Amino acid sequence: MTKWYEVPESVDSSVIYSKVRLVRNWAEYPFPGKMTKEQSLELTARILGGAQDLNDKNHNKYLYSYLHQMSDLEKAVLIERKVLNLDVLKKKDAGGLILSEDERVSITINGEDHVRIQVLEKGLKLDECYKAADLMDDYIGKSIQYAFDEKYGYLTAFPTNMGTGLRASVIVHLPMLSRKKNFNGLVADMGRFGITVRGVYGEGSENYGSLYRVSNQKTLGQTEKDILDLVSKAATELALQEHRIRREALKHHAIMCADEAYKSYGVLKYARRLSKNDAMEYLSKMLSGISTGILEVKEPCSVHELILGVQPANLLSQADRPLSKEEVDVVRADYLRDHIPEIR
Amino acid sequence: MLCEQCKKREATVRYVEVVNGVTTEHNLCGVCASQLDIGSFSAVLEKEISLASLLSGLLGIQDTEKKDGRFADVVCPNCGTTYETFVESSRFGCRDCYSVFGPLFGDNIRHLQGSERHVGKRPDYVIREAVEPAEEPLMPKLSVEEQIRLLQARIKDAIRREDYEEAAMLRDEIRSLKEENES
Repeated sequence: MTKWYEVPESVDSSVIYSKVRLVRNWAEYPFPGKMTKEQSLELTARILGGAQDLNDKNHNKYLYSYLHQMSDLEKAVLIERKVLNLDVLKKKDAGGLILSEDERVSITINGEDHVRIQVLEKGLKLDECYKAADLMDDYIGKSIQYAFDEKYGYLTAFPTNMGTGLRASVIVHLPMLSRKKNFNGLVADMGRFGITVRGVYGEGSENYGSLYRVSNQKTLGQTEKDILDLVSKAATELALQEHRIRREALKHHAIMCADEAYKSYGVLKYARRLSKNDAMEYLSKMLSGISTGILEVKEPCSVHELILGVQPANLLSQADRPLSKEEVDVVRADYLRDHIPEIR
Repeated sequence: MLCEQCKKREATVRYVEVVNGVTTEHNLCGVCASQLDIGSFSAVLEKEISLASLLSGLLGIQDTEKKDGRFADVVCPNCGTTYETFVESSRFGCRDCYSVFGPLFGDNIRHLQGSERHVGKRPDYVIREAVEPAEEPLMPKLSVEEQIRLLQARIKDAIRREDYEEAAMLRDEIRSLKEENES
């Protein structure tokens, strides 16, 4: 089955993918962190066991697993693919994961909150993501009583999630816009409208790959629709600005743009050793090249899949033995040579 | 100014060295400075600020209140979260913590969330009708002029806070009030 991230990016767009996350808690139990070991295990087992008939509903197979039985490497791979949050690595208590075969839909049990529903989709598709998450929420809400309060809405462990428990994010690729002098000011200004813009793979000039996550800051006092619309608009606006600068650059510095794209493609195709940051930078430039039409790929491809592919845990998980840092760089270059798309 | 070592990050540490009366000055970023191991100052800058401590600040729970012990005895009867752990972690322990600690941060939730009342989805089993009326009757009925004056005051406040989105919303409210009044 095709994973969600294997879907090709649409040419001419800087929007990579959308993500919707809902958090809920079961009224019967204290929040994670305040539960005993036994309660953690009981809650996890009850939800994992109770949601078994998910298989028949969405024509998508669901995989059920206990997080505390997974190895750190397995968890790290899922963190790189954005299925799990970083905090599950530290967690010692029981936890669970229900994951659809295409990895679009995931439900993390007993992470920071009891239930964390997440839906991912390529392109600007927040509404679709929310619809799927909402269905899942209704489905689970039928079996367990959520902690809900008239004033504070859905009650969550952190005050930053109370209310809708909804975080809507769109990941955009902004290699040109982020090079602009006033980019940081622009990002700060978006905060006034309740929008957060953060580097996906690091902050400031060290965000290798130039992927940015645009998401809502607030979760209380706005309807779900308001939040989805706000984030969609903000992401669209940023993508448009990026597009405008690219067109301008292409018009005035055509050779430079072409050179950058082809050089990056060449390195990715022929290098024998690549650090993660270098790989991310070249992939970012290749992605721009494809999206502006400089590089014409023979078949539509997903550059985002390659970005996930060059991450360390993924490469380590594919290897048949433990690798040193230098060896990972070699394996990374091998991976890219095998997977880089053919161009005309 | 960029760090003279890595030439990538902004320089945040100025390191002045005096050797035999000769002064040399270096401008470094936190990362390079900590690698050079020049005193403990850079370590202070590198340490991450915890989100929790910021949140407690935003929720209006200050150290002074902690010291004078006004709230020190508050403990959630359900999960045993104490006031102190709540301040430290800014994290609720269970559903009941909301009613225990909620009144302590009161209006300050607005600073964090921009609102203090949920308006979105609700689970099926929560009956909508039972809830709506509660607050309205307590408010005395204001004349249109008074309402407008109140809204104008709120606009000023919003502008002071540079919350132009709210200001615009309030302005629209005034406009529709005026229109209603005229018609």
